[in-house]
Amino acid sequence: MLPMRDERGFTLVEVLAALLILTFVITSSLWAFLERNKRLQQASEIMLAYQALANEAEYVRRHDFANLGSYGDTFKSGPMLLAPLDDYETAIAVDLVKPGVKNVTMTIRWHHKEREARLGVIRVDTGGGSLF
Amino acid sequence: MRARRQLGYSLLEVIISMTIFGTFLAIAFALTAEMRMWERRLPVNFMRHPQIISVVARMRRDVQDVVLVGNNALYLDAHDGYVMGPKVLILQTGLETGSQIIVWDLSESGVVRRVSYNVGVKSVWTAHGVPPEFTAGAKLEAVEFPGRPYGVRLIAKDSHGLVSLDQILQPRSYE
Repeated sequence: MLPMRDERGFTLVEVLAALLILTFVITSSLWAFLERNKRLQQASEIMLAYQALANEAEYVRRHDFANLGSYGDTFKSGPMLLAPLDDYETAIAVDLVKPGVKNVTMTIRWHHKEREARLGVIRVDTGGGSLF
Repeated sequence: MRARRQLGYSLLEVIISMTIFGTFLAIAFALTAEMRMWERRLPVNFMRHPQIISVVARMRRDVQDVVLVGNNALYLDAHDGYVMGPKVLILQTGLETGSQIIVWDLSESGVVRRVSYNVGVKSVWTAHGVPPEFTAGAKLEAVEFPGRPYGVRLIAKDSHGLVSLDQILQPRSYE
């Protein structure tokens, strides 16, 4: 009969500690990865939203000063850019700051209204002259 | 005969090591697949590309500086073999010394050219390294504002057919 080999290994505590560390490393890597994707997606969405706001600002700039109040909430520049944003809505608020000056605030909300992009334009009544 | 004592790993140890290693590999592959899936969901954002940004910036300035050509037209139908269309924009901009004709040419894959003609001198600025999907999906359109001069709208779709760039460029207002 062969003598029993002297087998040395890890204790249960050591194995459990190693598994705990491994689990922590994997979980934190996964979390960092998912967070990165989430922020990347948000950044892309924000860039699309601000492109849409800048385009709409061009329409707002050219709109008749007197009729700005009836501009409506729909973007005249079209919905093409905003298509990838889920559940989006647009709003345009016009406030008379003082006679001859109006603040136009364009807002896009999406992702169940949790995300928002906003751009303001100050319009001044130039008297409706025939600028070029 | 006495069995020789051999140092090394047992079959069980090797199998366990390989299993752990395989698990790591599987996680790495799963993460990579997940990352690619997420990145496909949104279009490539052309507004992050330095060459495209410079093209848009220069085109915006040219459209702002546009001046009237004969018959009250802001843009030319054709010049030096170029014909105005979805991939070609021809305009005349004002300079302190007069004016120059500028052609924007997006017809070649991966390249955008700005050709300017100033007092008979032709000079070309070229944006190399533009993503081919940009030039393939880019389209120049006229955009109308009631009572105002026409503007230019540059729209580009990525390889998935989603709009990734949409810029409205307008001539500067002056009396």
